[in-house]
Amino acid sequence: MSALHFDTLVWHWPIAIYLFLAGVSAGAMFFAVLLKHFVLKQNAYKSGFVRAACIVAPVAVMAGLGILVVDLTKPLDFWKILVFYNPKSVMSMGVLILLIYQVFMFMWIGLTFRKPVDDWCETRFPIVLKLTALLARFEAAITGLLVILSLALGAYTGFLLSALPGYPMLKNPVLPLLFLVSGLSSGAAAALLGGVLMNGKPDDKEVHFIHKVEIPLILVEIVLLFTFFMGLVLTGGQSKVATFNALGYGFWGWVFWVGIVGFGLSGPLAMNLFMTSTSKRKWAYVAGTACLSLLGVILLRNFILYTGQMTIA
Amino acid sequence: MENSKRRFLKGTCALLAGATGATLLTTVNAAESAKAEAEIKYAMVHDESKCIGCRACEVACREVNEVPEGVSRIEILQTGPFGEYPNQFYHFSRKSCQHCEDAPCVNVCPTGAAFIDKETGIVSVDAWKCVGCQYCIAACPYQVRFINPVTHAADKCDFCRETNLAQGKQPACVAACPTKALVFGNLKDSTSEIVQVLRANPTQRAKVALGTRPKLFRILAKSGEVVL
Repeated sequence: MSALHFDTLVWHWPIAIYLFLAGVSAGAMFFAVLLKHFVLKQNAYKSGFVRAACIVAPVAVMAGLGILVVDLTKPLDFWKILVFYNPKSVMSMGVLILLIYQVFMFMWIGLTFRKPVDDWCETRFPIVLKLTALLARFEAAITGLLVILSLALGAYTGFLLSALPGYPMLKNPVLPLLFLVSGLSSGAAAALLGGVLMNGKPDDKEVHFIHKVEIPLILVEIVLLFTFFMGLVLTGGQSKVATFNALGYGFWGWVFWVGIVGFGLSGPLAMNLFMTSTSKRKWAYVAGTACLSLLGVILLRNFILYTGQMTIA
Repeated sequence: MENSKRRFLKGTCALLAGATGATLLTTVNAAESAKAEAEIKYAMVHDESKCIGCRACEVACREVNEVPEGVSRIEILQTGPFGEYPNQFYHFSRKSCQHCEDAPCVNVCPTGAAFIDKETGIVSVDAWKCVGCQYCIAACPYQVRFINPVTHAADKCDFCRETNLAQGKQPACVAACPTKALVFGNLKDSTSEIVQVLRANPTQRAKVALGTRPKLFRILAKSGEVVL
């Protein structure tokens, strides 16, 4: 059995990339809201990190959906997913969440950048000012729902896989939580990386805030990963077989231990702790840590997707 | 600020109430439709003690349902040989749709292209509605679904619902079987052959632990080897 091609493989890497991008979008939006409300308040639009998050979130979610559509066997029929719904289907409900999420995402971005938007439109399109004023009346509701929707989107990427009863490793209640937490940390990493690339200072208070949240997030992720596999081993039967197939010797074992546990989790955790204790934040440290986090999450999505399909019930 | 908080809470509560109401409504509808149960529930028995592995069923299915080369709705899996020469034998088992009562493929299908026909209990595919996300293929614990290379839609055995059954005939595989190893019929009709066979023989169904309640029954052939 080859690591990337085997009989029971149905969904291949484009799905993992889609799951990654949806998670990045949800996480970036989540952290943009946190940054605005706990750190920056009305000046949020001036921050490179918030700007980066507000670019990454829509680009990532749309690119992810694009990949998903292209990956269908009938890409031109994708509109049928938007017309016909099945309340029992996780994917169908995910489509609904994705649609509503994007609406609230754009409304929140519009509100956050209200001042520059209003300034630019004042003489050109005065009608836009009425629209932003209307949105501003519902700012609290939009923000609250956006947080809920971004968390729902992050968890959905896990539920999508845990709804597959034929694969014992994927049919796992910890999976949605694991994907939610790793999705949030990938969103934070994307905001940091984009922020420092867009001339955000690596020692800004935004970076301090995100790093402070990221340390417990990585610790929770490690606990969830442990619980995920411990639960499978204790379930026994094919679940146990699946665990050893995934974590044992071979290509995916290396990806897990070196790529995910080493580079993706231990690396960023050590760097974050180091930066917190020395309060030295250089451009290369922040960007490097963010890249490691992103790499770890991409690898985790591929690892779970492929090894999850290697063992059947 | 206080006002906006209140508005947010109101909005959230309204949303939750709406979502709960919608869910309840669908549940009630589902319960009502379950009350008016259909009079037909088709199932199949594969008597592995009679099967000789001639694969006439595979050929007949391909012909009747116009299944393209490279994919198949039914496969006969062969294991063995068992026993000592000259008394050796093979085992043959049928790999095809199990027509689950609680079908994972139907549950996960985002468009409803995978559905259970209310009148016959047959798990079917609406090729037009299918967009080819392959969620059903991944969800099926029996690995019997595939993408039809001609229609690009998910495909699988439907007990010849659109072909032989529509013409009042037995499914192609059943009609083709030379040893009468396949029995097809209505579980709700206590006089039908399948009910008699199920009453007279101990049968097994695959992966019942998953809660799928499949409707493909097998009568096991004599044991071939000791497996722990």
